[in-house]
Amino acid sequence: MSIAHSIQSIGFLSNFSESVLAYPIVMSTHLLCIALFGGMILITNLRLLGLTYKSVTITDMIRSFRPWKRVGGVIMIGTGLLLATCEAEKYSPNPYFWTKMIILGLILVHGQIFRPIVYTKTEELDQSPVVPTKAKIAAILSLVLWTAMFTMGRLIAYWDTD
Amino acid sequence: MLLQNAIADALNSADWAFALAECVHIGGFAVGVGSIAVVDFRMLNFGLRHETAARILRYSEPWTIVALILVFFSGLALFLSQTDIYLVNLVFPIKMYVLAAALIYNFTVHRKVATMENPSPTLSKWVAGISLLLWAAVVFGGLFTGFLI
Repeated sequence: MSIAHSIQSIGFLSNFSESVLAYPIVMSTHLLCIALFGGMILITNLRLLGLTYKSVTITDMIRSFRPWKRVGGVIMIGTGLLLATCEAEKYSPNPYFWTKMIILGLILVHGQIFRPIVYTKTEELDQSPVVPTKAKIAAILSLVLWTAMFTMGRLIAYWDTD
Repeated sequence: MLLQNAIADALNSADWAFALAECVHIGGFAVGVGSIAVVDFRMLNFGLRHETAARILRYSEPWTIVALILVFFSGLALFLSQTDIYLVNLVFPIKMYVLAAALIYNFTVHRKVATMENPSPTLSKWVAGISLLLWAAVVFGGLFTGFLI
């Protein structure tokens, strides 16, 4: 608890959480990233599942989105870090917050597992007449993880200490 | 009235129902705005250069429409559960006007330019940029509405 209190008492963080406008603006930015970059993730997954965007090659799609997803990821983590640390005392006992962090960890593990066999092997996927199962598994897991991610994010607000 | 009360009861009696409606609302706008943004992304020439904006729009549009329907109904449920609060909210009406503008723009100007055979790159970029701005404003409006409740 005291560590949490010290974190949120850091000068600029306490100014930030007390600001009427800064807090909702940062939160809106966090949310907008879900729409823009979450949308790119979703569309990539729909393509990997062979559901739509069929005339766009997997290679073209993954290469086009990659730099933007990275930018989005940095903004999302940056704004998220700001939101959580400025209210560290409220977040540190919140089970939804920690579940969300575990899911974030699982998303990183997902990337590590599937990058070498799916996301960097897109030419191979494009040459195959049907999208290989490993790519479909990667897409379904990604959809499940990201859905859990934003759901937990929303539920953070529903937990109170009483 | 009866419908309004029934929905309000369901949502108020259980926190989880309100939370569920919110999650559908968020998931829905991620799909809706994301599927529009990918068309804008192409119009801005940021990527997907092997395919035309018209073709990408054709793929995106069914997802956009289904998602917007989900967003609409989950939003309506949220609104009906606390009508009195939304009606005095300062940001809520602004959000609704911006939303109306974004929807009209999306299915008229945006659609028209995205499906043009050979639109000028400048026109495409402006149309896509305005589309992104409008939808970003709707998302900001939604969050600020929640903050003022």
